[in-house]
Amino acid sequence: MIPPRALRRWALLLVALVGSLSLGLWGLATERVEPVSVLMPAPFADATAELVSAFNRSHPRIALRVTRGPLETEAVSDLAISSLLLGESSYDLLLMDVSWTPKYAAAGWLEPLDAWLGPDALADLAPGADLGNAFGGQLWRFPLLADMGLLYWRTDLMEAPPRTPAELVAISRRLQREGRVPWGYVWQGKQYEGLSCVVLELLRGFGGHWLVDNEPQLDSPAAIAATGWLQDLVRQGITPAAVGNMGEPETLQLFQAGDAAFMRNWPYAMAELNKPGSPLRGKVAFTTMVSEEGEPHAATQGSWGFSLLAGSTHKAAAVEVLRFLTSADAQKQLNLRWGYTPTRLSVFEDPELLAANPALGDLQQALAAAVLRPLSPVYAQLSDLLYREVNTSITGDQPASTAMRQLQLNSERLLRSSGGEG
Amino acid sequence: MRRWRLWLLMAPALALLLAIFAAPLMHYLWLSTQAQSVLTGLKPVPIGAQQWLRLWNDGRFWQDTWQTLRFSAASVSLEMLLGLAVALLLHQPLCGRSLLRTISLLPWALPTTVMALGWRWIFNDPYGPINQLLAVLGLGAMPFLSNPNVTWLAAVGADTWKTTPFVALLLLAGLQTIPSDLYEAAALEGATAWQSLRRITLPLLTPYLLIAVLFRLAQALGVFDLIQVLTGGGPAGSTESLALYAYLNAMRFLDFGYSATLLLGSFAILLLLCGTAALVWRWSSRLQGELR
Repeated sequence: MIPPRALRRWALLLVALVGSLSLGLWGLATERVEPVSVLMPAPFADATAELVSAFNRSHPRIALRVTRGPLETEAVSDLAISSLLLGESSYDLLLMDVSWTPKYAAAGWLEPLDAWLGPDALADLAPGADLGNAFGGQLWRFPLLADMGLLYWRTDLMEAPPRTPAELVAISRRLQREGRVPWGYVWQGKQYEGLSCVVLELLRGFGGHWLVDNEPQLDSPAAIAATGWLQDLVRQGITPAAVGNMGEPETLQLFQAGDAAFMRNWPYAMAELNKPGSPLRGKVAFTTMVSEEGEPHAATQGSWGFSLLAGSTHKAAAVEVLRFLTSADAQKQLNLRWGYTPTRLSVFEDPELLAANPALGDLQQALAAAVLRPLSPVYAQLSDLLYREVNTSITGDQPASTAMRQLQLNSERLLRSSGGEG
Repeated sequence: MRRWRLWLLMAPALALLLAIFAAPLMHYLWLSTQAQSVLTGLKPVPIGAQQWLRLWNDGRFWQDTWQTLRFSAASVSLEMLLGLAVALLLHQPLCGRSLLRTISLLPWALPTTVMALGWRWIFNDPYGPINQLLAVLGLGAMPFLSNPNVTWLAAVGADTWKTTPFVALLLLAGLQTIPSDLYEAAALEGATAWQSLRRITLPLLTPYLLIAVLFRLAQALGVFDLIQVLTGGGPAGSTESLALYAYLNAMRFLDFGYSATLLLGSFAILLLLCGTAALVWRWSSRLQGELR
């Protein structure tokens, strides 16, 4: 028989052993599950929800969590920046708009992806989708979804869409005269980023440029003609004066109500216009923006992509998430279920997708016509100058030439004070 | 009590005030002598008084200052007039008075962003209710939000709708402190309603009016959310306020040095205005004292 004292000693030892063992096991288990946190604008968080749970099922060692950000593009940026400014970022990956990338990279918030994704990372991207991911010789972003400016037209009002600015005006005038639509053409004219996208497409379509070698070209005859054309649209009543406060939702509302023959908008509008119960269901098609003879039909590129944050402590796991969510399978699912435009060539050419979504080929063509907004850490200032000045000229009496000369001076001053680095 | 003991007793309050007001202000003052922006990789680089020179030469700062003052003056005066009227009305012994008081407070209780979205729809051209009404009457649409001469007035309208209840509430509290026997005595002497309003109500309400003006002025000069949601500063920059410009510089342009300078610049303007208001108050009360 074992004496009670020894028994107690043995029992104590056993408890200690079991305790430390389970503690160790628990520690091992928790060490292996790496949390990865992603911030996305609300619509993308909703669309990727199924992919995220699929990832968590197939990757037991990574716990992927998506923060559903605000709806509006710039509000998402505000949220991300507030968190980044506090130093310790609460996110590992950020779904970023193309126009933020140089700014975030220059601020030192992003981790270059070259080493993580390898030299062939961009090989499968469709022409146009490969733009705007690198800056200063390094890769900062991998695109998940493509987005580009499109010209929507009413198939019940005309045989073929206009290809030049003059044709657009002529068709609008005729339809307005015949009383078939109150307005010809609606676009984003509010004092905000959307107006810069509208202007960029026309700049290229009239043969101009925003920047060439970091020198603004905004008082060129082509640039003056482009903004002068927008101003004339309003003056001649082809575009309603209310365009001066119209963003994407307001233009879509007016076009969907059947009150305009043309609209400039992003691909998402197609799904809205073809929803059951939409008055324009099956009566709308899209093409690229009008341009002068011999100039390109340009589409402002507005893609969304994942960036890895420099402050992330789970970089390898985050890159695994990035690969999974931007894979061909994931993009295919996002297109089938939610209508989002892919960025990978292999997805554009997928026969199953092409059968389900016949417009995919047109989207690919529009994407190939994509033009990029200037890649500059001070892009936000450049764009603010541009949309403010152009909005002034479409809501006031100032001639386009005066406005564009002022804009040129201000942009030159901005780029000079930012050290010409741009 | 000895002097050091007084200081000792005041120390916690003083420390709190220093931590909450003085410390951030000093930090901003320091920041306004630095270039800290996306171009410096967010690291501070001392540049002396350059930011202040830039502020002085920045036409947009002066334009926004003028626009902020214009907005504040118009909305605060409207709110004072309407608020006084509402307060006088709610002070009357009407049936269902407490219900009316509750209802009249509703605009104030709404979050500004929500009410600004509402007003954006009300002002919508051409589908908003006002423009639909104009269309029914056979009149043309009113470009509430796309005409630089009109839009700031639309913003004043929305702000007045939202904050008149606040002014009314403050003034109603003031009205309730005025003893009713004053009015009875005046009525016995044959004073008209207008006379008792001018000779009794307004003088006794002056402290409350001034407090309401100060509160509202401080809020209106810092207007941000209403403008951001309603117009984003447009059209033609005609509704951009100082706070919106400072926000753009900090959050969109990542130019923290200049944003701090802008905030200090607007703070100086606010201080100047509130100081003037306080001086006027002291001067007028002294005048009243002499008259008595």
